[in-house]
Amino acid sequence: MSEAHVPVKRVVSPADLEKWIDSDTYNNLLQFVIDLQDSVTGLTNDSEVEISETTKKLVSVLETVDGYIDKHPVVVEKDISRFGKIEFRDFYDEVSIESKNFLKSLIYPDTPSSSASNVYFNESWGNRTRIDYGSGHELNFICFLLCLEKIGKLQKSDFAAVILKVFTKYMAVMRRIQKIYWLEPAGSHGVWGLDDYHFLPFLFGSSQLATHPFMKPKSIHNVELVEMYHSKYMYFECINFINSIKTLPKNQDDRLSIRWHSPMLDDISSAKSWQKIKEGMIKMYKVEVLGKLPIIQHFMFGTLIVCPDGIEEHHEHEEDDCGHVHTQEAVNTWGDCCGIKIPSAIAASESLKLQEMQHQHHKPVPFD
Amino acid sequence: MELDTDVPMEDVEDLKQAETGSGPDASPHNNTKKSDLNPSTVGQLDEWIDKLSKCEPLSETDVKKLCDMAIDVLQFEENVQPVQVPVTICGDVHGQFHDLIELFKIGGPCPDTNYLFMGDYVDRGYYSVETVSYLVCMKVRYPNRITILRGNHESRQITQVYGFYDECLRKYGSATVWKLFTDLFDYFPITALVDNKVFCLHGGLSPMIETIDQVRELNRIQEVPHEGPMCDLLWSDPDDRGGWGISPRGAGFTFGQDISEQFNHTNDLSLIARAHQLVMEGFSWSHQESVVTIFSAPNYCYRCGNQAAIMEVDEQHNRQFLQYDPSVRPGEPTVTRKTPDYFL
Repeated sequence: MSEAHVPVKRVVSPADLEKWIDSDTYNNLLQFVIDLQDSVTGLTNDSEVEISETTKKLVSVLETVDGYIDKHPVVVEKDISRFGKIEFRDFYDEVSIESKNFLKSLIYPDTPSSSASNVYFNESWGNRTRIDYGSGHELNFICFLLCLEKIGKLQKSDFAAVILKVFTKYMAVMRRIQKIYWLEPAGSHGVWGLDDYHFLPFLFGSSQLATHPFMKPKSIHNVELVEMYHSKYMYFECINFINSIKTLPKNQDDRLSIRWHSPMLDDISSAKSWQKIKEGMIKMYKVEVLGKLPIIQHFMFGTLIVCPDGIEEHHEHEEDDCGHVHTQEAVNTWGDCCGIKIPSAIAASESLKLQEMQHQHHKPVPFD
Repeated sequence: MELDTDVPMEDVEDLKQAETGSGPDASPHNNTKKSDLNPSTVGQLDEWIDKLSKCEPLSETDVKKLCDMAIDVLQFEENVQPVQVPVTICGDVHGQFHDLIELFKIGGPCPDTNYLFMGDYVDRGYYSVETVSYLVCMKVRYPNRITILRGNHESRQITQVYGFYDECLRKYGSATVWKLFTDLFDYFPITALVDNKVFCLHGGLSPMIETIDQVRELNRIQEVPHEGPMCDLLWSDPDDRGGWGISPRGAGFTFGQDISEQFNHTNDLSLIARAHQLVMEGFSWSHQESVVTIFSAPNYCYRCGNQAAIMEVDEQHNRQFLQYDPSVRPGEPTVTRKTPDYFL
């Protein structure tokens, strides 16, 4: 693979960001997300949909990745740190090395442009150095799918299955990674964000519910409904996951109000309909993900997802350990990626469980 | 010192202190303008403090009034604000309002106890608005009893990323209150000097600052810059490695024991007290007790499992650490549900 075909980061300044938002590449990516969202309107995760050979292969690729987690278990240590587990790096490295092979043999021919999409695939699992994960990494998985569409491996008729079978599998693998390696939330807005890690399961999930005859947005507060439907609807999977993590450890049955730990989701539950949420998620995604410099400065451009005209190239060696440029000209966004690291809520709830097992005692600890 | 008809308690005590103090320089605000609190202002402030104690945010109009009053007080404070002993020194709070109330229970109520906060009142937690409003109210009400320094989170750019901006938008429906507070943050003093011996600041030292007098020369009334001495004071961290190092945070520097010892020697200090880093016991010594880190947000971000601490420094400069655990939260948040604009 020649150097020229490896996707690279390009956006460093607010001016670059404006060019990005005005570009065909941006519109193309946004339309792809909208089409994916539309493809699952009214469908549940187990709906009968057309499953192509590529879709099947994609699911098996994700199963392979899932298997790598088992190969790199977290060594039980005396260390009481709640920060991300370093074994994640071994997992990450194995995916990066092996993906060249299993993607090549399973999905696309060995052309430079198609193998460049490996990079998006590899970036989908989080940041190796910081052991964190956020909506930018999630976006890389969408870019990987977009590459497949561009080289003709995915058709519009595949979209429903891509979300219901492939994306849900990706989510399942991500949940395991988050739980096992205690991935830290990247660029967390504290309690005020939509979610510690994800955006898209809410975006796709609201579409699944948009035509539902009786389920209302407030249903997320009904724990029984959430438990009953979390395997059918992505939105409920997210709520169920948050409920399972953000509890008082000794009182796992004492559900703590979603109003406490997720005020944003609580607010969204007051929307008139799931249709409103479906539309709102696109508007919000444009502003909070595709329009945010701290996220887009990590976005990579190559031969399939091309860099908009007028954005200057910079040299990768200007990047520091944070994985992006800290220069005078570029707006310094240290707060977004280089601020104080905080452990995940998973780490908090898991380490408290461990403590209880060891000491059988408990002090009241709130959560967010 | 003029005496108003309705004398606030603090002024009486200040008089007593001035009488028993070691000299004219002992006054904590000998360089500050006398704040002119009239009875109606005191009544207004007490009313706000009452309301905020119940964790109820002030109205936007009242926040505007409060910030105007606070600018009047803070603009006359120094870059190196002199503070007297005894004083209780506190670290990061980060919007954990109920834990701040716990802090005042542990340390004693203000103004009976003097307090020095070393920044990071906002971001991450649920109640940044209530927390910063409360502390600023206390500052205006008891200007000589409480000192509030600026932390790296008291910044427009950082608060847009870590939650305070979102929280203001959410609680007030517009960014006005965020604007008012972040404009006010520009006036916060950046360091304090306790009895000429304990240098207090949020982050740490700067390779561009050798003497405390150099801090006094800075123009601090501005957004926290991305580099330079003011940035470093709010961002740097002590490190086990000697000398200056690149900070993994992307701002400020790391500084070794040699640097701390040299700085303390040059400036005739006994200690550098700072916050900025999560420490599991709530406080942590470094550089052979030439630097102490104090962190006052227990179970930081509601998930870090750490204890919090504050440091009491008495008249004889004895130090005592008080540690505490998270307070128990009440059942339901007081904020009413509101559909975000995206979903209307």
